[in-house]
Amino acid sequence: MAHVSVPMYWRTIPQRYRLVGHKCKACGAINFPPKGVCKGCLTSSDFEEIQLQGLGRVHTFTLIGAGGAPPEFAEQEKAGGSYPVAIVELDEGPKVIGQMADVSPKDVRIGMRVRAELRRIYSEEGVIRYGFKFVPAEGA
Amino acid sequence: MYGGPGGKGYIDKGVIATHSTRAAGPCGGIRCPIAGVPLDGGRTSMRKVAIVGAGQSRYGEFPDKSIKELFFEAYRDMASSVDRNFDPKRIGAAYVGNLGCGGFQLGNLSALVSEFVGLPYIHTMRIENACASGGYALATAAMDVMAGVHDVVLAGGVEKMTDVSGSKGKYWLGVSGDTEYERLAGTTFSGLYALLAQRHMHEFGTKREHLSMVAVKNHKNGALNPKAQFQRETTLEKAMAAPMVAAPLNLFDCCSTTDGASAVLVCSAEAAKSFTDTPIWIEGFGTSSDYLAIHDRAETVALEGTRRAADRAYKMASKGPQDIELAEVHDCFTIAELLAYEDLGFCKKGEAGRYIEEGHPEIGGDRPVNASGGLKAKGHPIGSTGTGQAYEMFHQLRGSVEKPGRQVKDAEVGLLHNVGGSGGTVAVTILGR
Amino acid sequence: MAVGISGYGVYVPRLRIKREDYAKAWGSFSATGVSEKAVMGYDEDVLTMASKVSRRALDSIPLPASKVTRFALASTSPPYAEKLLSGTVLVSLGIPSDAFSSDHTSSTRAGTEAVIAGFEHLAGTPSGHVLVASADAPTASMWSSVEHGLAAGAAAFVLSASDVFAELEGHASWASEHAGERFRPRGQEQIHDLSVKKFSESSFVANTTKAASAVLKRLGRKPEDYAHVVIQQPDARAPASVAGKLGFTDAQLAAGLVSAYLGDLGAASVPLGLAAVLDVAKVGDRVLAVSYGSGAGADALSFRVTADRKASPSVKEEAARKEYVDYVQYLKIKGAIQ
Repeated sequence: MAHVSVPMYWRTIPQRYRLVGHKCKACGAINFPPKGVCKGCLTSSDFEEIQLQGLGRVHTFTLIGAGGAPPEFAEQEKAGGSYPVAIVELDEGPKVIGQMADVSPKDVRIGMRVRAELRRIYSEEGVIRYGFKFVPAEGA
Repeated sequence: MYGGPGGKGYIDKGVIATHSTRAAGPCGGIRCPIAGVPLDGGRTSMRKVAIVGAGQSRYGEFPDKSIKELFFEAYRDMASSVDRNFDPKRIGAAYVGNLGCGGFQLGNLSALVSEFVGLPYIHTMRIENACASGGYALATAAMDVMAGVHDVVLAGGVEKMTDVSGSKGKYWLGVSGDTEYERLAGTTFSGLYALLAQRHMHEFGTKREHLSMVAVKNHKNGALNPKAQFQRETTLEKAMAAPMVAAPLNLFDCCSTTDGASAVLVCSAEAAKSFTDTPIWIEGFGTSSDYLAIHDRAETVALEGTRRAADRAYKMASKGPQDIELAEVHDCFTIAELLAYEDLGFCKKGEAGRYIEEGHPEIGGDRPVNASGGLKAKGHPIGSTGTGQAYEMFHQLRGSVEKPGRQVKDAEVGLLHNVGGSGGTVAVTILGR
Repeated sequence: MAVGISGYGVYVPRLRIKREDYAKAWGSFSATGVSEKAVMGYDEDVLTMASKVSRRALDSIPLPASKVTRFALASTSPPYAEKLLSGTVLVSLGIPSDAFSSDHTSSTRAGTEAVIAGFEHLAGTPSGHVLVASADAPTASMWSSVEHGLAAGAAAFVLSASDVFAELEGHASWASEHAGERFRPRGQEQIHDLSVKKFSESSFVANTTKAASAVLKRLGRKPEDYAHVVIQQPDARAPASVAGKLGFTDAQLAAGLVSAYLGDLGAASVPLGLAAVLDVAKVGDRVLAVSYGSGAGADALSFRVTADRKASPSVKEEAARKEYVDYVQYLKIKGAIQ
């Protein structure tokens, strides 16, 4: 079982629940998830918060089968079959990994339009960890 | 700190090295082994680093062998491979690559295995950079000798993966990528490499067949390696039809979990004279890290860590990809080997499929890759893999590989490529006869 | 001051199971009038549904989340028995943390209970906006016939004192003691139903008609004044007896009869039924919404549509977006195979 402690998970809630990014005040690059030093200029640590819309396109994806699922997702895979995981290029620039939901694995395509929404990620220590997954958003 | 004339300050991407005009520093003032850049622009003579012995345990699943015993097996094998005058008392340091500590000894593992093999009072450290631990152990040993701190150093690695349940094992295997996002998106490494494979196929038309060709080649080589975990050939049909693990990667695209250990004896040129007339030289090495999460990287069709580590190794060795006659690369997944052909400069970006189709990386080809069977067939005991590659190359370059069918003839320059996780760390080493 | 609904949203999970698949497994299907029902995905729960549907309700106006001053969540099947539920949804939407939030649970009346509580907030804070999310996914033992109709879905409403499209004319409630009628003891996930049918039916009819009659009387209205009536739907037939008693017709029930194709949505039953009515209602239409919660109690709310504002997607559009599962897949998704 991956161990992400309750406080560790809690610190990332602005990103997981609402896709809050960090815009570098020096170079304008948007860091999501946040870094200590801006990825764009590798110099500044001065950021302002920016609300990302959660819209983007699938950059690449895979379909995780039983052999590829971490233990905390094993039951999900057993119950619903293989699940898609994608790296999504958000409209604002950053790429981020996320599971896809509400979509048939056979319908996932590189380039398809998706939107982030709140889903149950997994449960550890009896505490449900929520976070974003990506659902199809054609026309958005 | 680094010697050289002029007292220049040198800045490379945030690494600042200041050079004293005083006495030549411990590395003789030529190249900074970390950033791989020339420090003084001149060519003072290098304190050369040799490998004079190399050993490896059998790779496989050994419920009856502990992590200590595995390391000892490799150590004994290394000792017996030294031509003459092997003396444990001369070993001043041991760098032991390991990730999971056998599931029990989180702290001081290297001290534990060092004393078990009869080296109780030395400079010993566990080196951990996920699956690149061994490669970094080798690089660290080389830096130690180059710096003149020790003359004879052990670089090795060991991993005991089969003591724990599959689920706990997957825990280890999943937490060397980005745990917070990649793991919690529902991936282990199969999923991450699958993301790379999918994009590579999308951008360059790389085919399912190309992935399986890697598996077929490496199993064919592994069948000739008595120490390999898997010693049976497979067919392209079988490799392509295996059950899907993380599309497009199937079971035959993925390496297994393995118990195993390896050890190489690294020393100065001067010390090498007492051990052998045919040392193998560490001509150059380079390392690089990268963003842990694939989504943080600029490219999803290359491992930037490999490119930069290779670049630094080539520069230190004053060589290029065209000089490399054979290589042991990090094929944790078949796609990883295809990426390695490109990122190490053996072929252009996007051409890996064609490269393997044309037969270049076969044992009979012009640049055999993974004659040992690679991680796929030989096995991948995480901490040991990097120094296990050195073991193979030591014997390849000295003509002492166990089975003649696997021996690459008259090779003089070989390359080792060892990747941590999905590319968060990479170590490249160039060995020469 | 006219308070009412200024925006709304609906969400129905994509998966469906047909009555025929139940009949294949069990020999019969017990939820009368229900042809298929909605099944929640493995990675969803009432909080994720509430978050999604609330976003849709805000976007239907549109209203920025920062303007919400009161949040209410309603469900009989929250993922925790004790843990501030609203917090998860509120934070996911960006509603200010100083908004008063309330969790409404413990019976299927919770949806309308939350709406009434929301309207009360506007009396003291007329410039405020209320977001009420009803999301439910009740469960029962696979051996129990009450399980057949249980489904999943959500509806959310933005309540305001300005720019409303459906005014609240008035409301009335009734609470009584009817213990032993569809209940769930502490620590248990599965609904108990003692199958004392007459007792259950009489409680259902008594509580709903008391609340409905009271509001009709208070407003001086008659059933024929209403274009639509929405009544709690444990199945698609139960509302008819209440409607009949009050003097409403089947035609008035039709638009809100979501259980026929979505199943028993628990605390979200009346909210989704109301949304389905608002999807088709015309300016000037009156709508009566009557909920029921076992144990027991009922709320009745009377609305008048004053402007044309429709949610997107509509209930029909959500219902049309579907993928069928068979009974074994259903069991796996619900984690019912122990």
